[in-house]
Amino acid sequence: MINLPLHMGSTALFALIILLGLIGGELAGKIRFLPKIFGYIAVGFLIGPGAFNWVDFSILGQTRLFIDISLGLILFEIGRYLDFSWLRYDRYLLPMSLAESGLTFILLFAALLILGLSWLTAALSATIAVVTSPAVLIMVTHDLDTHGPVTRRVLTLTSLNNLFGLIIFTALLPFAQTSITPLPEILGHITYDLLGAIILALIMFVVTLLLARLTGKNNERQFVLLVGMTVLAISLARMFQLSTMLTLFIFGMFARNLDSHHYLSDVNFGAVARFFLIFLFVLTGIYLQPRGIWQETLAVITFIAIRFVGKSIGVFLFAKISRLTQQQAWSTSLALIPMAGVALGMSFMLTNLNPELGTLLVTIVSAALAILNLIGPIIAQWAFLKAGEAKS
Amino acid sequence: MTVLLPFKENSELTMGVELELQLVDLQNFNLAMESKDLMRRLSEVSHTGEIKPEITQAMIEINSSVHLSYAALLNELQQLRDLLTEEARQTHIGICGGGAHPFQKWDEQRIYPLERFASLSEQYGYLAKQFTVFGQHIHIACANGDDALYLCHAFARYIPHFIVLSAASPFHQGIDTSFDCSRLAVISAFPLSGTPPWLATWEEFTLYYEKMSRLSIVKSMKDFYWDVRPKPEYGTIEIRIGDTPLTVNKAAQLAAYAQMLARYLLAHRNEVSQDIYLAYFTNRFRAARYGFDAELIDPFHELHISVNKDILSTCQQLEEHAAALGSEEALELIHNDVLNRDNGANWLRSRYSELHSLSDIVRAQVNFWSG
Repeated sequence: MINLPLHMGSTALFALIILLGLIGGELAGKIRFLPKIFGYIAVGFLIGPGAFNWVDFSILGQTRLFIDISLGLILFEIGRYLDFSWLRYDRYLLPMSLAESGLTFILLFAALLILGLSWLTAALSATIAVVTSPAVLIMVTHDLDTHGPVTRRVLTLTSLNNLFGLIIFTALLPFAQTSITPLPEILGHITYDLLGAIILALIMFVVTLLLARLTGKNNERQFVLLVGMTVLAISLARMFQLSTMLTLFIFGMFARNLDSHHYLSDVNFGAVARFFLIFLFVLTGIYLQPRGIWQETLAVITFIAIRFVGKSIGVFLFAKISRLTQQQAWSTSLALIPMAGVALGMSFMLTNLNPELGTLLVTIVSAALAILNLIGPIIAQWAFLKAGEAKS
Repeated sequence: MTVLLPFKENSELTMGVELELQLVDLQNFNLAMESKDLMRRLSEVSHTGEIKPEITQAMIEINSSVHLSYAALLNELQQLRDLLTEEARQTHIGICGGGAHPFQKWDEQRIYPLERFASLSEQYGYLAKQFTVFGQHIHIACANGDDALYLCHAFARYIPHFIVLSAASPFHQGIDTSFDCSRLAVISAFPLSGTPPWLATWEEFTLYYEKMSRLSIVKSMKDFYWDVRPKPEYGTIEIRIGDTPLTVNKAAQLAAYAQMLARYLLAHRNEVSQDIYLAYFTNRFRAARYGFDAELIDPFHELHISVNKDILSTCQQLEEHAAALGSEEALELIHNDVLNRDNGANWLRSRYSELHSLSDIVRAQVNFWSG
């Protein structure tokens, strides 16, 4: 007799998750308007506690390393999208990003305060809302084979809002740690976390450059180099108790912008990225907790609505001066909706540090995630199709 | 059946240039399929000349105005280049010259959404996407259709010069093709490529065109992909053999070279016989394959001559015409290019030997183009 939920080794679990996810994604892909991500997440939800309960939340502990690697690769990849040279030539791109991120944060923070949440929970929720899911966008743009100004702008805005979100989150996190109370100690932690991530990323970047000079501009060898360095950076960040996500993002950003002699190839993580992305999406599905929709309905609806309004106003404020068409502005606003992966990572970090605060936040964020996970990729796919940048 | 437009008569030996340009993604330096959005942005700013879409979405074509002088043409091309570069940078794409993108995959290209291009795609199948190559077309004004046909045939002798001087497509589909100009192999696949029929008068040509139209082989002059073709509505001949050079300066020099040659040919009215085409495709191939090392066949004197020597001696013959047209500088630069064996293909190969990366070559091309 087999007892449910199943308990198996983390490697077998990892493999099972990937394979089931793959099947779910392919089935979803058969339906015209559904992106494959929908299938990955749906599979996760079906095998998780929300439905058949074949695997439970203990999976998070068992597969923590894989989660970190997945998030690390995604953050490295989205960090590489941030090209400072474009910010110089399009003077309204950074203001647009600051507007969409800033408005999302300010409006949500204010609304959640009014709803009675503590300033810290409100600030953390607002920070998580700022972030657009790089995983969803990387996969949707890849699956649709989209290329064009909207795709590029959305990925760059996503990259920037991930940067802002990660910095604010890293700065707020010490306030949430119950073990740290005096302000100087909190500030010390913030400084350590932010500077530590920058210094570690810089060291990893310099070592990568030195090794790249050895490998030459061979795509296969540089692929191995970058994946190896990414995983090493994740391990070192964990060892020094730094944010793996922020470290990896900055590492990616340095790889794009500080490589003045172009020693690094534009390596495409391709199949490896899909492997880890499928894992992450299935996991997101397992962790999907829609019950918050009923428990904290108002907070959840407020969260989703204000998030969309904040992002859209930010985009539209600078759309005309950036010479975007109405369609491009709408597509950009809609494509920024997906929220997953990184938000989940942030919630996990918080739950580790402060279970009580984390739980409330996770309830709201998870409920919003449950809704946005289902509709976010569909909306993003639709937005790119309407922008006319998809291959089909 | 369509009717051939009457040949517009031009009293002056003016010239104009069309350049097909590459749109490049500045993140990975592959082709960027964004001509539609860039066209929209360019339509919002005022500029001289014309900017048009091309068959696939990573291409754009700029047309200069009509010019009598090399200096004026160069000035306009530089202005158009600056405008285009600035507009493209705002949306984070790059623009560059060159006859072929070094590593784009033709099957990834997308047809520009226009009825004419959709029809070409339907007609030519995969060739339409393979046509993502980039050429320079030079228009030289003619007094009448008979002169235009004379020049079309007389220019056949000099076609290898244009191939060698403009060659800028040594890399294609990710490999060094060993050709200086690999683009011509793509064009040769089309059934209506090659040379115009051996007809000497506009009246004969009109009958020929009408027959081709009655047979439903062509619907307009655009359907002929000849290396040189008459363009009756402009009153010009259009020399379509060259790669788009890596700089607008080179493009202007080549146009001036064509203008000088036309003046020389019209002044001397050398008798042209059909034998000119005996060695035409061999010479065309050799120029594309070997560049400055090509040995050309002279079918009239039954001699072999290096293309270098042939261009240098032609430069001497053109000196008085350069002076008359104010194109001495262009002629001197072409002369020096031959002495230094300086064409786009050699420049690109030399960059590759330094950088060892095709994407870095495109980066260098973008920087070189923007001046």
